[in-house]
Amino acid sequence: MTISRRIFVKSGGLALVSLGLDPLFLARAAFAAHRPIGPSVRPVLVCLFQRGAVDGLNMIVPHGESAYYEERPRIAVPAADVVDLDGHFGLHPSLAPLKELWDNKSLAAIHAIGSPDATRSHFDAQDYMESGTPGVKSTGDGWMNRYCQHDREHADTPFRAVAFGPQLPRILAGSAPSLAIDDLQAFGLRVPEAAARDRLTRAFEELYDGAGTGLLASSSREGFEAVQMLKRADPTQYRPDAGADYPPGRLGKTLLQIAQLIKADVGLEMAFADCSGWDTHVNQGSSEGQLSARLRELGLALAAFNRDLGDRMRNIVVLTMSEFGRTIRENGNSGTDHGHATAMLALGGPVNGGRVLGRWPGLRREQRFEGRDVAVTTDFRDLFGEILARHMGAADLSTVFPGYTPSPAQFLGAIRG
Amino acid sequence: MLSIVAAICLLTTQAPGPALPSLTPRDSAFHALNRLAYGARPGEADSVAKVGVMRWIEQQLDADHIPDSHLAAREREFKILDYDRGDLAGRYRDAVRERQRMQREAAASGDTMRMRGAEPMREFRELGGELQQLAVVRAALSERQLREVMIDFWTNHFNVFVGKGADRFLLPSYIEETIRPRALGRFEDLLIATAHSPAMLFYLDNAQSVAPGSSPPPRRPPPMFGPFGRPRFGMGNPFGRPRFGTNDMNREERRRRQPTGINENYARELMELHTLGVDGGYTQQDVINVARIFTGWSIEPPERGSGFVFHDWAHDDGDKIVLGQVFKGDGEGEGMRLLKFLANQHATMHHVSAKLCARFVADDPPDGCVDAAVAAWQKTRGDIRAVLRAIFTSPDFWAPQAVQTKVKTPFEFVVSAVRATGVEPDSTPRLAQMVARLGEPLYQQPAPTGYAETEAHWVNSGALLARMNAAVALAKECSSIPATDDHTQLVDAIDQKLLAGTMSAHTRSVILEQLADITDPVQARALAVGLALGGPDFQKQ
Repeated sequence: MTISRRIFVKSGGLALVSLGLDPLFLARAAFAAHRPIGPSVRPVLVCLFQRGAVDGLNMIVPHGESAYYEERPRIAVPAADVVDLDGHFGLHPSLAPLKELWDNKSLAAIHAIGSPDATRSHFDAQDYMESGTPGVKSTGDGWMNRYCQHDREHADTPFRAVAFGPQLPRILAGSAPSLAIDDLQAFGLRVPEAAARDRLTRAFEELYDGAGTGLLASSSREGFEAVQMLKRADPTQYRPDAGADYPPGRLGKTLLQIAQLIKADVGLEMAFADCSGWDTHVNQGSSEGQLSARLRELGLALAAFNRDLGDRMRNIVVLTMSEFGRTIRENGNSGTDHGHATAMLALGGPVNGGRVLGRWPGLRREQRFEGRDVAVTTDFRDLFGEILARHMGAADLSTVFPGYTPSPAQFLGAIRG
Repeated sequence: MLSIVAAICLLTTQAPGPALPSLTPRDSAFHALNRLAYGARPGEADSVAKVGVMRWIEQQLDADHIPDSHLAAREREFKILDYDRGDLAGRYRDAVRERQRMQREAAASGDTMRMRGAEPMREFRELGGELQQLAVVRAALSERQLREVMIDFWTNHFNVFVGKGADRFLLPSYIEETIRPRALGRFEDLLIATAHSPAMLFYLDNAQSVAPGSSPPPRRPPPMFGPFGRPRFGMGNPFGRPRFGTNDMNREERRRRQPTGINENYARELMELHTLGVDGGYTQQDVINVARIFTGWSIEPPERGSGFVFHDWAHDDGDKIVLGQVFKGDGEGEGMRLLKFLANQHATMHHVSAKLCARFVADDPPDGCVDAAVAAWQKTRGDIRAVLRAIFTSPDFWAPQAVQTKVKTPFEFVVSAVRATGVEPDSTPRLAQMVARLGEPLYQQPAPTGYAETEAHWVNSGALLARMNAAVALAKECSSIPATDDHTQLVDAIDQKLLAGTMSAHTRSVILEQLADITDPVQARALAVGLALGGPDFQKQ
């Protein structure tokens, strides 16, 4: 199915361009003609951005490191509470629901990962992680969008790249079509009564149909197509599978909606969501407390997502990311300040799990970045690049990360070969 | 000589002169209202055509002489205008302290729900909402439309993100005192004012840029936040956690927080975005030298009002070379010389003129209007009104391919819909929230580039559906169109009042078809206006 569509575009596209027809539009039309399609075999990447800089050291705890306990008398997670992974690292106890996934080798942690840029500004560091160009502020688009740009033959569904939230985030900004969906159930025209809504939808559809071939016309076509596809998928009737129980709150709701879209087989490939509340300068807590509460929600939400999607997880990778890590030493307010490297989690069937990946630099003073923070030993672009190349099948990473080409020699082996 | 004659002709004739062969006087008035203003109010295309579009443009360029009493009265509803920077700094500091007190209490009692303590910050959130809504009200109601358009242009050109640390309380004075009074003045003055503004100094980190090895004189009270505290905020928690706590911040930590060298952030954006443009021919060494020139340009602590201050002790006194020009190390003065130098570089004239033409003429502006703007800039040493006049008298501005072809930004869309429907915008943040939902939350662009001007940036399927929803919501309040059960009359009125007679035949037939079985005049009006505002014709200007 996917192959025949590609052949159609590749062989027929050029000839049709000479007739003045847009091959992208034809690709979409071809896709639409074959709907509904069966269960997706497309790879899916779900990115969760932990905004505010998560404390990687209390998320994936180096309990085998004496410096960790020396520097954090009040907020270190006691070794007895840590869910041990490999004798040196362990999960924060609030992430215990993920241990099962570690054991079945579908969860990996990546430590000492971050940006080559030294900034400790949330604003700059988030920007760099989303643009994919650390140190370069003038980049207009985000790396997830650039991936979609360079692989346009897939651009046959309005749901290919979706951000959950009211605005399109920087990471998905750019010329490839992408949707921002605040609430799946409310996507479309907001008219309470169904018949009136359908009528208004048809009217707008017709209005824009006459608007020629510009971006306005093609965008409205995509929008209404998305509305129609969603209507068939009927998000209001959704019940998670296998008794998956998403935790209350924004993150659980968002992951549930991503699961819905994946199961609706509407062509979702790249999903993105924010997950905030990690900027723990004051009273961070250790086994319990502020950070613990955020991690509990994260662990429960990821575990529920994994359970809900069941077999489909074989084509899905969930990746957490955060702009930087936090100081090794606790501060005067039982919290941590802005640091450098942090930890990320990768989850899913394609993940080479059950391992803490990346070279661990150590926490002793001489091993630190600028004498205070965890040093970065893995450029985040090497991990993102590996996932795009080995999981998503990206052929050319140099256009996704301009000025930097992640090389397979640098790949951590996060994705199974 | 010839051009003077032509200009006089344009100014004195009622109908547009020979420069606009293909547009009727009313069409050219509508075009001017779409670009120099936030769209036409009902009947305004006719009244501008009657005055003469070129005369109306001259009036708009001379904004100070346009009475604006209705807006002045409405502005009094916004209490944000009653506070100066010092007031806001003090209130912010008190709110942060109060929240920390609550957090400590909550932590002591193990109440994790209360530890996020957003309550003390509520006033700031509300003031932020007011500031955004004030922008909508001014754009919709001001008679000095071109001035409001230019204020939006410069606010975006010299973008400051309100969510970054101290900019939460520095932004109001940036808008009121730095940008607004200079929107139609000289570019150089505007550039100098932004370089001195605490909001920009904080946003682009120049406030913490110091000569390596320098340190403040002793016995100065330790900086509590602002210039020397790193910005702290998480996107999900817009008011971050600025830390005060001199009591529990030990000396070593204070020293660690002390900046130890130059910060290139402002220097780079000054050349890349504010003046020369990314291809303006500067090097990394120029960036470093510009940063050295601005070492010491900083901000007073909040208890002293957060104003501009030049710290002699932080300044790099060496000589610097920028673009081949030597700047003698002599303190604050070299920064002033550099700003004047940059403001008058040819690359700057071209970069800013092209951006103006992208706003007023076309996303990808033709060379003709850009060259005309640059020539006027050169002749007048950057008189913004002269540059604008050159654009508005350029044939490219009036070319048929420029008319009704630019997609409105979300802000332009909402404000133009408010104007067309005759809705009196209230002082609640409702309309500003609508602009935000459409993707352009005002003052909330984190990147120093500001928001994009181009169609590709604003048109996507989710955004378009959001525009349709906004149109349907606004249509319910439409008072400029009388409700009638004569559908043809209704659609005619919409065409005339909302679209100045430019409604396409297709739009007309679709709307009439949809109205066919609706008998209630109010319901028919709401549907027809909603479709007209949400349809493709009204997305363009």
